[in-house]
Amino acid sequence: MTPDKINRLGIVAVALFTLLAPWILPVFVDEFWVDIYSEMLIWSLLAASVNLLFGYVGLLSFGQALFFGMGMYGVAIGIAKIGLGFWPAFGFGILLSTTMALITGFLAVRLTWHYFAIITVVFSLIFYFTALSWKPLTGGDDGLSFTMPPIFSFGEETAISLTDPTVQYYFIVLMVGACYALMGVVLKSPLGRAFRTVKENDMRAALIGLNVYMIRLTAFVIAGFVAGVAGALFAFFGRYASATYMFYHVSGEAVVWAIIGGAGTLLGPVVGTTLLITLREELSDVWEHYLIVVGVIVIVVVIFAPKGLGGLWMGMVNRIFDKSANGNQPKEGGE
Amino acid sequence: MSPTQILEIEDIEKHFGGLAALDGVNAHVESGKLTAIIGPNGAGKTTLFNVITGILPPAAGRVKFLGQDITNKPVHEISKLGLARTLQIKSVFNGMTVRENLWIAAQSRDGVFKPFQRASASSRANQVADQLCEELGLTQFANQEAANLSYGDIALLEIGIALATEPKLLLLDEPICGMGPAETEQTVEKIRNLAKRIDIVIIEHDIEVVFEVSDEVIVMAQGKVLARGTPAEISTNAEVRTAYLGDDDDA
Repeated sequence: MTPDKINRLGIVAVALFTLLAPWILPVFVDEFWVDIYSEMLIWSLLAASVNLLFGYVGLLSFGQALFFGMGMYGVAIGIAKIGLGFWPAFGFGILLSTTMALITGFLAVRLTWHYFAIITVVFSLIFYFTALSWKPLTGGDDGLSFTMPPIFSFGEETAISLTDPTVQYYFIVLMVGACYALMGVVLKSPLGRAFRTVKENDMRAALIGLNVYMIRLTAFVIAGFVAGVAGALFAFFGRYASATYMFYHVSGEAVVWAIIGGAGTLLGPVVGTTLLITLREELSDVWEHYLIVVGVIVIVVVIFAPKGLGGLWMGMVNRIFDKSANGNQPKEGGE
Repeated sequence: MSPTQILEIEDIEKHFGGLAALDGVNAHVESGKLTAIIGPNGAGKTTLFNVITGILPPAAGRVKFLGQDITNKPVHEISKLGLARTLQIKSVFNGMTVRENLWIAAQSRDGVFKPFQRASASSRANQVADQLCEELGLTQFANQEAANLSYGDIALLEIGIALATEPKLLLLDEPICGMGPAETEQTVEKIRNLAKRIDIVIIEHDIEVVFEVSDEVIVMAQGKVLARGTPAEISTNAEVRTAYLGDDDDA
């Protein structure tokens, strides 16, 4: 066994749990937790989008909710206003968010650090207020709801639709899983390694002939795509789009999930999101100031486990195997 | 252009506020010779390297590499033409393994915008990385993070990263700065060996080392080229002695 195998085992365990959750969860907790779990999976993609930028290319974005919002409104407007079917609306949402990432990224990735963070907030605020005020299209404060079109229909009678909870759950799992698989492939590619060099040392990266700007922009567009898929799924999940989910508060939450889960680890965001949403669900009813607890957790994690829970886990696994193999095991560095 | 001139620097000017860091620098580097740039602190040596490699845009003047005008070209494009450099403050990818450091530098020649290919399947980059690990004596650290290396090994790794890009010209900015005597000797030996197959320009403060390894010396002072010649010529140049080496007999 190598650390790599242990990590793969961990991924298999998460995947198995996710696939069997509709049977496992009701045994222990109320059935609505299946729904909450699928919502967590969607939100984890938003955290993953933050993580792709912060954990792998070193860009801290506080504006990923913008692309989430584009995916969400793309689906809702596509169905309610344009009359698109399920798949075209899904595609429209993702296209909208990816295009938005390309346009805003074109300007944003010229900057780094706090300048980059600020410009991402500014972009997301601009479109948040646009969505609020453009009532005929977005529904403004009320949001925009729609009736779910079927995924596939055969004739008049039979149709597969997300109105079936099982179909909805597995559709979300499939799409979220596909996004993680895509990110996994990209991060293990030459491009993924180039991402890390830009995070580690952008001057050295340029000096060995890497186009740092294009690498950052590519990462930004992929992150926008992932956030867009999350937003589109969330619109399907709630049959609804609302500007509330585009506010920078939502972006900030995603940053917290990513950092607690472990920036720079593929599945860290799932861990962070699951943990913090569970906490929210359990505590917010009991104690309205539950965010203090979240704050304390963030401080403790940032001080004692700067690489988040994911990093803590990798460190533990590596240490155990370093001992047994005299430090000859390759470190995966969170690929 | 004469075919032996790999690098030509024409009337380069660079100002920082009111200070003229480079005040009309004219110089060239001949292929097949190890050229050293010396000069007191603030002479503009590193600024000149920054202008050549595209990190700083010059206020005036031109830089030609292999006969091609590279003034104002982006840093990564200049690297792709075959110009590599190390930095005065050692600069590697700290959080990546030694092997990954060399691998990405080699892969930069084949392109990195390959999102659906496995990095570990890039056989050429793998080969270059392994070969350089061996050549630099870093094989035992190949899978360790660069941050864990000793100072001397980081300096070696930085040279290795530059070599992995298969440069035609290598600029070394104070490669032995901060090294002990044993490390210095090893590094000087490596530089001398490298000079047999790659053109090298070196900025160095250690005059002994400069006179030992270089074929050609360029002396800079106050943003200008003060003198140029073989080590023997430079050591007897009266102007250089007053401006830089001091009037004593220790040079």
